Amino acid sequence: MKISVRDVGAAKVVEVDGDVDLGTSPDLRRTLFDALPTVRTLALNLGAIRYIDSSGIATLIEVLKHAQQLGNAFVLFGLSPAVLEVFRLTHVIRVFPVFGTEQEALGTS
Amino acid sequence: MEETARRLRIKFSVPSDPRYLGVVRGAIGSLAAVIGWDESECRAIVLAVDEALTNVIRHAYHCRKDGLMELECRETADGLEIALLDNGDAPDRSKICARELDCEQAGGLGTHIIKSVMDRVSYEESPEGNRFVASKYLRKST
Repeated sequence: MKISVRDVGAAKVVEVDGDVDLGTSPDLRRTLFDALPTVRTLALNLGAIRYIDSSGIATLIEVLKHAQQLGNAFVLFGLSPAVLEVFRLTHVIRVFPVFGTEQEALGTS
Repeated sequence: MEETARRLRIKFSVPSDPRYLGVVRGAIGSLAAVIGWDESECRAIVLAVDEALTNVIRHAYHCRKDGLMELECRETADGLEIALLDNGDAPDRSKICARELDCEQAGGLGTHIIKSVMDRVSYEESPEGNRFVASKYLRKST
């Protein structure tokens, strides 16, 4: 799994490429928790994730809760079909703010 | 004379180290596709098997990497059966439950996934260790 973070105005966009599972989700968690307090909006691009399991979903739920405590926004965009299926299967699709594109996620479209 | 069909059976001996999970996922996806499930169903089956392995790593071996998981995947007349054996701590049956779907709790997601995807799931303790068995039928009767 590869993770990169870039600044887009006052927001940060995190890009993830690869599989998010029990072995890799701690790295994703660390990156998101480090970035979250530094911006008002943290956006996660899920378009290049080939696989995500319950540990990955649990990580995203943790980050969302922390964002709510901080009063920051944590948004998702570009869900691949594989990710979308897991979100639907676990019924968490309605828990997260989900957008189609980065522009929509950051409100710049 | 009655003809007995030969069917595929794959056995894995997998260390309880998450870095091997991807190897198993690749094999299970290919097996499910050969048996006849479509791409979406194959992804769901892969996820369910992966969640079963992940549960063993987390709860039976407490994330130790030197445990052993014996996974057997067997093509059956009506689908797929997987059996997973480990020698870690026995599961607490009171905690083997799917999460409430309307709450935002992270725990129990894996069990919810397994029970949603597979048609039949059972846990048992045997002299060999903890045994988890799950079946998926090619055509689910309604």
